[in-house]
Amino acid sequence: MKEALFTTIAELAEGSAKSMPDMFQPARHLVCSTPATLAFNSPGAQGFGVKRAGLAVPGSVMLLAAPRCCGRNTTALGSSGEYADRFYYLLMDDNDIVTGRHLNRIPEAVCEICRDRKEKPSAVMICITCVDALLGTDMERVCRKCSAAAGVPVEPCYMYALTREGRLPPMAAVRKSVYALLEPRPKQADAANILGFFSPLMDSCELRPMLQKAGVRHVREIARCRDFAEYQQMAEANFNLVLNQEARYAAQDLQKRLQIPFIELTRRYDLSKVRNQYQLLGSALGIRLDDAPYAEEAEQAVALCRKDFAGARIAIGEWLNGDPFELALSLVRYGFQVPEIFGTAGEANYSYIRKLAEWSPETKVYANTNPSMLSYRKDREKVDAAIGQDAMYYHPDAPGFRWNEEAQPFGHAGIREFFTRLYAQLQEN
Amino acid sequence: MKRLLKKLAPFAPDHSGAVSVLFELGGMITLCDAGGCTGNVCGFDEPRWEHTPNAVFSAALRDMDAIMGRDDRLVKKLVRAMEVQDWPFAALVGTPVPAVIGTDFAALRRMAAKQTGKPVIALSAAGTGLYDKGEEAAYLELFQSFTEPGVADGNTIGVLGVTPLELGSADPTGLVRKAFAKMAQKIFSYNSLEEIRQAATVSCNIVLAPAGLAAAKFLQEKFGTPYKVGPAILPRHIREKAAELRGKKVLVIHQQFAAQAVRELLKDADVTLGNYFMQIPEFAQMQDVSLAGEDDFAELVMKNNFDAVFADPLFRRLIPDYQGTFVDFIHFAVSGKLEEDF
Repeated sequence: MKEALFTTIAELAEGSAKSMPDMFQPARHLVCSTPATLAFNSPGAQGFGVKRAGLAVPGSVMLLAAPRCCGRNTTALGSSGEYADRFYYLLMDDNDIVTGRHLNRIPEAVCEICRDRKEKPSAVMICITCVDALLGTDMERVCRKCSAAAGVPVEPCYMYALTREGRLPPMAAVRKSVYALLEPRPKQADAANILGFFSPLMDSCELRPMLQKAGVRHVREIARCRDFAEYQQMAEANFNLVLNQEARYAAQDLQKRLQIPFIELTRRYDLSKVRNQYQLLGSALGIRLDDAPYAEEAEQAVALCRKDFAGARIAIGEWLNGDPFELALSLVRYGFQVPEIFGTAGEANYSYIRKLAEWSPETKVYANTNPSMLSYRKDREKVDAAIGQDAMYYHPDAPGFRWNEEAQPFGHAGIREFFTRLYAQLQEN
Repeated sequence: MKRLLKKLAPFAPDHSGAVSVLFELGGMITLCDAGGCTGNVCGFDEPRWEHTPNAVFSAALRDMDAIMGRDDRLVKKLVRAMEVQDWPFAALVGTPVPAVIGTDFAALRRMAAKQTGKPVIALSAAGTGLYDKGEEAAYLELFQSFTEPGVADGNTIGVLGVTPLELGSADPTGLVRKAFAKMAQKIFSYNSLEEIRQAATVSCNIVLAPAGLAAAKFLQEKFGTPYKVGPAILPRHIREKAAELRGKKVLVIHQQFAAQAVRELLKDADVTLGNYFMQIPEFAQMQDVSLAGEDDFAELVMKNNFDAVFADPLFRRLIPDYQGTFVDFIHFAVSGKLEEDF
């Protein structure tokens, strides 16, 4: 059996995103499906995929127009409280997938769905899949027809797995879809939106209170909108904060359609970078953001962990809330060791990879989805903790935590929570 | 609308059925998809996967692969992956993407076999069919490709239809071996390539689901191996409930042979079998019905005044006002739920 392939950070840093080894390019090899990779091999299989994400619009329902296989895993989602009775399926047969005649039936299906419900949905999201990607379906036109027939807003969601590494991957496209129903409204100087996630920021995150203290009284997130009217208030925002680059396209669309400018922030686990980012944000907005008390709390959590466990060996996965390379770099800078990263390196990670190579050149990087990962041996590297659901899979006997909960960590609160959990795990060890 | 599902979710598709038959055989299984189908199979339709992550791969097809029909690239990927481990064979399983672009699976199979030097089977599922069609095709392909001539040894029986999708168990092989332990010294559930190879040595094949019937007929024709349908493996509570409902008017919804087994237990009852899956005419009775849409089921129940309905719990959603006895008869291919009470 061939051993699991890896490369060192130093080797990776020598190249560039354009010369990335094939093992880090999923389209260049078969993708290995293990419990460690399911979430990124098939984003809909766990967490937020296009189908679940599309229903972030309050009061909306979804019609999946696709072959039966595309909706199969939604059986589980459809039985859970929040999503029960919000999924509908228009099944395509062998003729449809070649001729595209299913498109003629979609308006009738939307009308029947609206008729059948006690209350008309706020919107119908129509999810289409690889088949329509290949047929070249103009789903915007179909949606307009549906909307005219049923009298509700209808918006397409493109679950085009075939375009995953393309210019507009499905999870970026669906972010645009869920904000596409916002209609122009007069701007409010004290309102802002946080874009990027389908679930809310963790309650303890300082971003909201800091903004509110600085005069931005209404800070809205789609996941916290209780109904469609509240969702529509997001159109009043004076600016959008983009916390996940997959929401950039949505923000650009909102800028163009509703003249809401946006500022991008990045999730970091390096205290100094977080502070710096807030300072820049304050300057850009012309307000003073006082993050000192939050930074102090985070610093204390980091310091406690460093004091007792500096040098601990921590394996980092990519199935977590963060960039695995940035997280590894931060940990190494704090004084921990990162012998392994399970991650798919790409252009976005390169700035971290180069810096990490200066600090920890021997760190091994395994390509999670490469077939050789079936041969990964857990005894090869001794680690004191494994962070991320995938890293925990590879090191089942090591203490660790998944760090992929739906409430999104960000800023100082994210760092504080992370190190509090890390400390608890290392102590247990 | 016939193909609009408002209460149910789609039943397990053909490629899930194919993978279900192949899963324990130790081969390298590759779904010719972009990633989502593999996720559906592994994350939902294959309960054995979580604890036994066998080699299930996605071809990771991208738009240009599909538009340009780059089968050569897929074969190259396959060849490279085959270097990781010494898999005895490779299986290529179709999904909607190759169905749309009209992939020639026979040619793909030949190319892959030539370049890997290993036996390759190819199943052109489209993701539009039902799981039993995929199981049927996989069984047939396996026996046609691998079974060697042999002489029945009298100590071995074979069982077809041993998958979680049919039996609702995450250990279907264990379940079958336990259930049929008294019938023979050795039981082939066809969960290893060796058992597939030696299929001609079994004295009889027991068919638990219509999906296994075509393979049983093939083995009979080619090697003279007799087959019979059942005895089915039914959950304990189904057997008990069936005994209580004798003489009543009952509707049973499941795969045909499991439903048929319940009918046999319902002595003196007026039993109708309703079936969304394969309906083999020679095992059906006049009153049995094939169902297609959601409304078919609700209408059947409304019009016939059944005293009891045996069906997967998911079907309860279609008849919220039903006053009779609803017996939960889990079918994994419908709800994705496992039965624990055998």
